[in-house]
Amino acid sequence: MSKNSEIQTEQMLEMFDNLKADKYPLKEYKYIGQKGPRRVDGLAKASGHADYTMDIQLPGMLHMRLLMSPYPNAKILKMDTSKAEKLPGVRYVLRYDDPEVQQGEIIGKTAGFFGLDRPLSDSAHMEGELVGAAVAAETESIAEEALSLIEIDWEERPFNLDPVAASDPAAPLSFPERYIDGNHWNRGAYDELTHGDIKKGFAEADKVVEFSFKRTANTWVGPERPCGVCKWNGDNVEIWLKHQRVHLPKSRISEWYGGIPMSKIEIHSLYQGASFGGWCQIDWNLGPLWCAGAVSKRVGRPVKYIFDRREDFFGGSMDEGTYFVKVGFKNDGTITAVDTTLYHVNAIWPVFSPALHIHDNTRVQHLHGHSKSVWVNKGHTVPTRCEMLPPVLTQTMIFDHVATELGMDPTVVALKNDGCMGHDMEWAREEKEKRGFPARDSLKECIEKGKAEFKWDESWHKPGARKLPNGRMHGVGFTWAHEWDDSSGGGEFAIRIERTDAAATLMAMGADQGVDAENTYCRIAADELGFLLKDVNYNPQVYRGFYRMTPDSSTNMSVNGWAVRHAARILKQKILESAASPSSPTQRGSFQPAFPNMQPEDLDIKDSLIFVKSDPSRQMSMADFVRLAGESGPFATDEFLGTRVGWSEPLFAVGYHIQYGAYNPVNPRPRFCRQAHFMEVEVDTETGEVIVTRVVNVNDVGKVINRMSCEGQQYGGSIMGVSRAKFEEVVHDPVTGVMLNGNLLDYKIATMKDLGPIGTILVETGMGYGPYGLIGIGEDIGTVVPGLLAPAVYNAIGVWIDEMPITPARVLKALGKI
Amino acid sequence: MSKETKNYVCPYCGESHDTQDGLKSHVFKSHKGRGLPTAEGRIKLMINKAEHSFLVEPSWTLYYLIHDILGLTGSKQFCDRGACSSCTMIVDGKPVLSCMMLAIECDGKTVETVEGIAADGHPLIEAYVNNHAMQCGYCTPGFVVASKALLDRNQDPTEEEIVEALAGNLCRCSTYPQHPIAVREAAEKMKAGGVK
Repeated sequence: MSKNSEIQTEQMLEMFDNLKADKYPLKEYKYIGQKGPRRVDGLAKASGHADYTMDIQLPGMLHMRLLMSPYPNAKILKMDTSKAEKLPGVRYVLRYDDPEVQQGEIIGKTAGFFGLDRPLSDSAHMEGELVGAAVAAETESIAEEALSLIEIDWEERPFNLDPVAASDPAAPLSFPERYIDGNHWNRGAYDELTHGDIKKGFAEADKVVEFSFKRTANTWVGPERPCGVCKWNGDNVEIWLKHQRVHLPKSRISEWYGGIPMSKIEIHSLYQGASFGGWCQIDWNLGPLWCAGAVSKRVGRPVKYIFDRREDFFGGSMDEGTYFVKVGFKNDGTITAVDTTLYHVNAIWPVFSPALHIHDNTRVQHLHGHSKSVWVNKGHTVPTRCEMLPPVLTQTMIFDHVATELGMDPTVVALKNDGCMGHDMEWAREEKEKRGFPARDSLKECIEKGKAEFKWDESWHKPGARKLPNGRMHGVGFTWAHEWDDSSGGGEFAIRIERTDAAATLMAMGADQGVDAENTYCRIAADELGFLLKDVNYNPQVYRGFYRMTPDSSTNMSVNGWAVRHAARILKQKILESAASPSSPTQRGSFQPAFPNMQPEDLDIKDSLIFVKSDPSRQMSMADFVRLAGESGPFATDEFLGTRVGWSEPLFAVGYHIQYGAYNPVNPRPRFCRQAHFMEVEVDTETGEVIVTRVVNVNDVGKVINRMSCEGQQYGGSIMGVSRAKFEEVVHDPVTGVMLNGNLLDYKIATMKDLGPIGTILVETGMGYGPYGLIGIGEDIGTVVPGLLAPAVYNAIGVWIDEMPITPARVLKALGKI
Repeated sequence: MSKETKNYVCPYCGESHDTQDGLKSHVFKSHKGRGLPTAEGRIKLMINKAEHSFLVEPSWTLYYLIHDILGLTGSKQFCDRGACSSCTMIVDGKPVLSCMMLAIECDGKTVETVEGIAADGHPLIEAYVNNHAMQCGYCTPGFVVASKALLDRNQDPTEEEIVEALAGNLCRCSTYPQHPIAVREAAEKMKAGGVK
């Protein structure tokens, strides 16, 4: 390895789990940060040629459907599948008491508490749980009909729907098979956060207020429903799966059916009809895949399963729960203490304390927050956009309550308390300096830009004080948070220079969730290599030995961005060394270097041209250089003809990045980048209707790589956020425990007509821990904006609505009209 | 029912025969040289300017026929049935939800799918790519088809008219603000280039 190559590798290792600013950014950016139209997936998606897992059809493919429990808490006592088995077109009925099923192989580590870590359970803990039997048939409708012919004796059991009620020791057990001591599940370190002394903090306060609020069930509604196809090719298995992190299920699959070597599992990650976290955070959808694989092996035909839309509703967003807050503050808006408890519905991920954000991005010294996971007989809740949903919702409600109690502008209260981990901004300034970041005040910049765009000073007013000429009440809301970069994990990227045309191919399997991440990585590689963007390509659907973290544009962008950059820098060094070295070195000798009498450091690459730095007129295109290197090897015939082509080692490099994430309690990273969001509403006090007339998003992303992608996350996250805040609620019948609105007619999501204009402002302070100072954006807006509607509506009508979504009925109830 | 007592009906003229052999000799004698009769359930459609003929089952939807049987997978199923417009196709000039229309109802009709619109080089395709009027892309074909149907009937739509025409199309990634921009861009291009 040359000295320069060693330097590149050292720099890569230096940035692992980085706690400092990027020390080696580029001097010039050609594609990074530019607003360009190129989407690598654009044409395929717009023309209908992009295939998704749901589109897959294979010769001889069978269709599988699984039995759904009609009861929220029940056990199968007896099951008769004989009529189903006799139905013409049915090829296999897999039962819960099948010997292979009974072996109890684990389908996934995050399959959940409801016994869903085993395929085909004999007990159900929510209405709609897939249990008991799976039918494979020639068509989906035959499989459905067969399910209706299965006769079952159920033992029905009492159930819970409300987390606070389920916390009562006298409440029935939600999951008697596993949690026999009660309905709580304490995950430990993540659940509870204590900082300082809350007694002292409350004693210092001029005023203490207590309030509670509730977020009801809501869900992700991924456009492509969970699905998969399994096909055995001898002892190799081939799988198509809708999943945003296919490398995780691949690991799981290797433990199935008695064990399969990873190298014998071929997995396809086609275009993904968005997940937003959702199902991919739970391995429940791997249960049907396990069944499909078992049946496929037995019948020798490919087997496909697709959840129907209602089945996709049996899982939800992890902000569902009841929140209790006590906050103490001084008359100038300084918050002195926070104590908050969340009764959290079915959260199977680490829950995180609801006070986590208050800790991470304020100077509040005394706080305590506790998430109590409570099992009820509904679906799992998981990160839907982000696991930070409860902490950011709590932060919004705390800050806006304090501001309204004091009659203060909420932007002033925000700036008053901005900080890091209980420290003030002076401490933050010192930390920025120590870590190599510029001394910029992100929240101040975000608020100033946002206020100007929104015309906040003209718009904000005392609660319930502005009636519009149309008779509606006018209101505005503000909230803020830090941008986050918390991914724990690793990303790997390889880049290969193709023979013949010298195109650079990025290699890393990932899931195209639509955030245009592929384009983002191509931009990084193009700028780092000195290539034209058109000469860099990336198809993440094919497995070539490397995986990246997905989804992207979120916190994973920093991890993957580093990996691409490392690979590109190592590769560029290889190219320059190759250009200065004798070509085609074999036992028969070698040819002149492409650039004779040069050292690698004398050369550079720009616009896909290698050139001599001291004399840029001496240049060679990458394509010509690669041709000189040759694509066919030293053919004897060429030698006879005197035109022997050269040959060189493949131009290939791999880079990777690993980080523990910002939640690493041993050595946490203070967060310096902020986001600020502004919303305007009109409330019709006669009908209760809330109309969101405009939103302004300001995000300090540190450094913009793909501008249109960032903006897409802003307006997309805002609309999804407003949709969740206004409409989205999964309703269960309290008498039967049955879900009542598992379809897109009764569960409304926002349409094109549901939100006014959205202003998108990107701030670039360079204070992220990713390459070039970037920080992710993808999770943030869709997570923060849902909480913003409540303070905006409060500003309009002067009454807090303590249950979300804020529906017309809840507005009218709050106004005492119903 | 035994073979002897079966009623064998001639598919050409409807004449009944008691035995299969009787029917065979009738067909050979009376209808020799004719092509196969059209079976019940066979329909003809013009799909993306090409004539197609299918034997369809009564329960098949137009979506199932185009997506699963013909293999034009651009149309998508997002909602299950009738709520998302991702499966929109243009049938006899009008945008329809292909998941809500039976295939057998489409005999003799003209069907346009997103693949046909793209094959024609319609400016909407480029405008959608240029303006990032997509993220995950699952619902995008439905928007493109609905937009094409709009431009067919209104070559110069206002933003309000575009929003009205696309209000039934759901996009969970919430790319909504980009669609009116893309449709306007395509309309301008069509005007400038005289495209109809």
